Amino acid sequence: MSVDMSKRKTDIGPPHHEQFLPPVIKANYGKWKYHENPKPGVLVHVGETGDKLYSVRAATPRLVSIETLRLYADLADEFCDGYMRWTSRNNVEFLLTEEKNIEPLIGKLKAAGYPVGGTGASITNIVHTQGWVHCHSSASDASGVVKAVMDELFPRFENMDLPAKLRIAFACCLNMCGAVHCSDIAILAVHRHAPVVDHANLNSQCEIPNVVASCPTGAIRPATVDGNQSVEVIDDQCMYCANCFSVCPAMTLNDPDTDGISIWVGGKLSQARHVPMFSKLAIPYVPNNPPRWPEVVDAVKNLVEVYAKNARKFERMGEWIERIGWPKFFDLTGIEFTKYHLDDFTHAGESYNRSLHVRQR
Amino acid sequence: MTEKKRETPLLDELEKGPWPSFVTEIKKSADKGNASSEDLLGVLERSYREKIGHWKHGGIVGVMGYGGGVIGRYNDLPDDFPGVAHFHTIRVNQPPGWFYTSDAIRKVCDIWEKYGSGLTNFHGSTGDLVLLGCRTEVLEDVFKELTDIGFDLGGSGSDVRTPSCCCGKARCEWACYDSMQVCYDVTMNFQDELHRPAFPYKWKFKFAGCPNDCVASIARSDMAVIGTWRDDIQVDQAAVADYAGSLDIAKDVTRRCPTRCMGWDGSTLSIDNENCVKCMHCINAMPKALSPGKDRGAAILVGGKAPIIGGALLSALFVPFINIDEDVEDLYELCEEMWDIWGEHGKNRERIGEFIQRVGLGNFLEQIGLDPIPEMVIHPRTNPYIFFELDEEEDE
Amino acid sequence: MSAKVEDVADAMFEMVKEYHGKKNLKALDLTKAMIKKFGDDECDKKLCKAAIRSLMDTGRTTYSYVGGSYIVLPPDK
Repeated sequence: MSVDMSKRKTDIGPPHHEQFLPPVIKANYGKWKYHENPKPGVLVHVGETGDKLYSVRAATPRLVSIETLRLYADLADEFCDGYMRWTSRNNVEFLLTEEKNIEPLIGKLKAAGYPVGGTGASITNIVHTQGWVHCHSSASDASGVVKAVMDELFPRFENMDLPAKLRIAFACCLNMCGAVHCSDIAILAVHRHAPVVDHANLNSQCEIPNVVASCPTGAIRPATVDGNQSVEVIDDQCMYCANCFSVCPAMTLNDPDTDGISIWVGGKLSQARHVPMFSKLAIPYVPNNPPRWPEVVDAVKNLVEVYAKNARKFERMGEWIERIGWPKFFDLTGIEFTKYHLDDFTHAGESYNRSLHVRQR
Repeated sequence: MTEKKRETPLLDELEKGPWPSFVTEIKKSADKGNASSEDLLGVLERSYREKIGHWKHGGIVGVMGYGGGVIGRYNDLPDDFPGVAHFHTIRVNQPPGWFYTSDAIRKVCDIWEKYGSGLTNFHGSTGDLVLLGCRTEVLEDVFKELTDIGFDLGGSGSDVRTPSCCCGKARCEWACYDSMQVCYDVTMNFQDELHRPAFPYKWKFKFAGCPNDCVASIARSDMAVIGTWRDDIQVDQAAVADYAGSLDIAKDVTRRCPTRCMGWDGSTLSIDNENCVKCMHCINAMPKALSPGKDRGAAILVGGKAPIIGGALLSALFVPFINIDEDVEDLYELCEEMWDIWGEHGKNRERIGEFIQRVGLGNFLEQIGLDPIPEMVIHPRTNPYIFFELDEEEDE
Repeated sequence: MSAKVEDVADAMFEMVKEYHGKKNLKALDLTKAMIKKFGDDECDKKLCKAAIRSLMDTGRTTYSYVGGSYIVLPPDK
């Protein structure tokens, strides 16, 4: 490939946002007074001068075709002079100044299959990873699980009837490109056995010292296998993190028979009321069951419903569990507490209860 | 092109139900004649049947001169699915706050129709506009056409990853600093670090305008810049009274205050602002009545990450308050100091949060020239194994 | 500072060739080696950055990614 470097532009950075802001935003930049959430999926921001900006939020599947992007562009032209943005959770937002355009826009979005909602005390879009669509280390698909779960939770997207907002995230392995670790409900695909080593090719594809050094538990050591310079894995010490696979393709973890999904609860990352919290293990394993993952859907639905029924206003999942205690959480949800719930990694001791503060059952 | 009969019974199940379907999206592109999308359906159906992915590690794929921005991806069944034999992803640095015009969107679509799968992610986990799936030989052309319409590539590998931010002052009354402008300035200042990987591992920046942290900066970035304020919460007592009709202010607002620094006597809201920890709950609950103070700025936190390798970490407080709109240069200097020491002594694939724990926060702060302050810890150490430095004490 | 960008780039290129097939080098490995080779009054991190950029822009080396970003010879060399 020959490239004429003199004609190339590099390091120009992203386009500056100002060229994409509607006039109402330019006029009120830094001068918004308050906002309201008149109905699910609609926000109105009011400026100091009384100017109003209406945002209409619609769900997208994150993986979107250019046909759909062009549809959004057409709708933006028709209803809001072409101005739109995306949220951090893969929703598209149309930025309107004409209140009368809200309902016609919602109608067209719904008709095209992109429902409006996800504001306030609701369940909004699930942030997620690539899964089988694009990832080399995924223990499950991502988009498919998200689709199946959101189909079931759909009324919670279109309504704002939960105690507080509920944030769900999905990651297809524990690399967590989706950084699910601070979510009210985290759905995390997991591998469950040590890597299978391709001894014939390892030495040509990877640097053995790097592979050895990549293991956080020291489970990998150099070895000669069938005359090949390679590595061996001490199975008992492997926690299936796949860090070795990241540095060496000859250490495969993907396995259709044992890969599956774990479910975590009670994380949050806003500072509101309680400091940010990590999600904690609820269910160590449910099987990978495409195309609609019924076991995952049921488990998530159960968590949402028990939370919705028991939590108080403004209480996030983690705050509710902290108030009632984990034993009660397992009672209410009917989830079995097992050996797998006990941490045995670096900071395990921090999670032991070194007190008598328990509610006797 | 030979006409293939599309059989995707498992994927078809995911076109049912009210939530928008990614399968429908791929079909939309395939129906326009895109061979990549057609074969993506094929290989994905196979993954659904076999319960395993069919993608391989990337290797050496990119545009000339850059070490990031393209994720190489090859299929392990290229003979069955030639349309996705190469299926590289291009990360495009999104505009701050993810604002676009229809015109800009259409231009991106036109490029991607010409060269790629016709599929995108709006947006990737780090924030990039992701163009999903193309062949190696089109990368330079895509890059040229993207730069012609004003877009550049984002980060990947051991570099500054594409910074992202909330919509800040553009559409939020709570923004305590101009998160979009600061995000833009930082991105421009570190273009070299973004495009030419030179770190032990990735470095993520995220900019949130207030403690609600809509971009998850505290959990998802190595450096989180989160808006906050120093003076009193602004209160409109009449508007508070209006909320009393729809909200139990004592139960749901003042008693939920983490430091119990508020009182409500049925007509007046009182706040002991010295004890306010800026959590945002009361402001979130009564946005028409309360707002952050006027002395606004940001806090800087360092070291957040997902589990790989040493376990997940939240970012830790380094700078409780900085007037970041004015003093963004201080942030650049802080970064350079940290990168120097992390670059020198960090291990391969060791994030800064893990590095700090390994060398000790005290040592790290000393190296970067930041004084320890009690705000940095929940409490002082409880173990007595202090590494006293007698020689240095004598020197002082 | 008296070392020239081209000289540092040439020395880096030799090092990449020498290690080819044995060990992948990161930008920092090259930088450390060059500062040692030329001396810290002749060569610093900024100069090394410029040298790496010239190696990349002329296509003498390229970046690879295997769980980390490395500077390597282009696949066709």
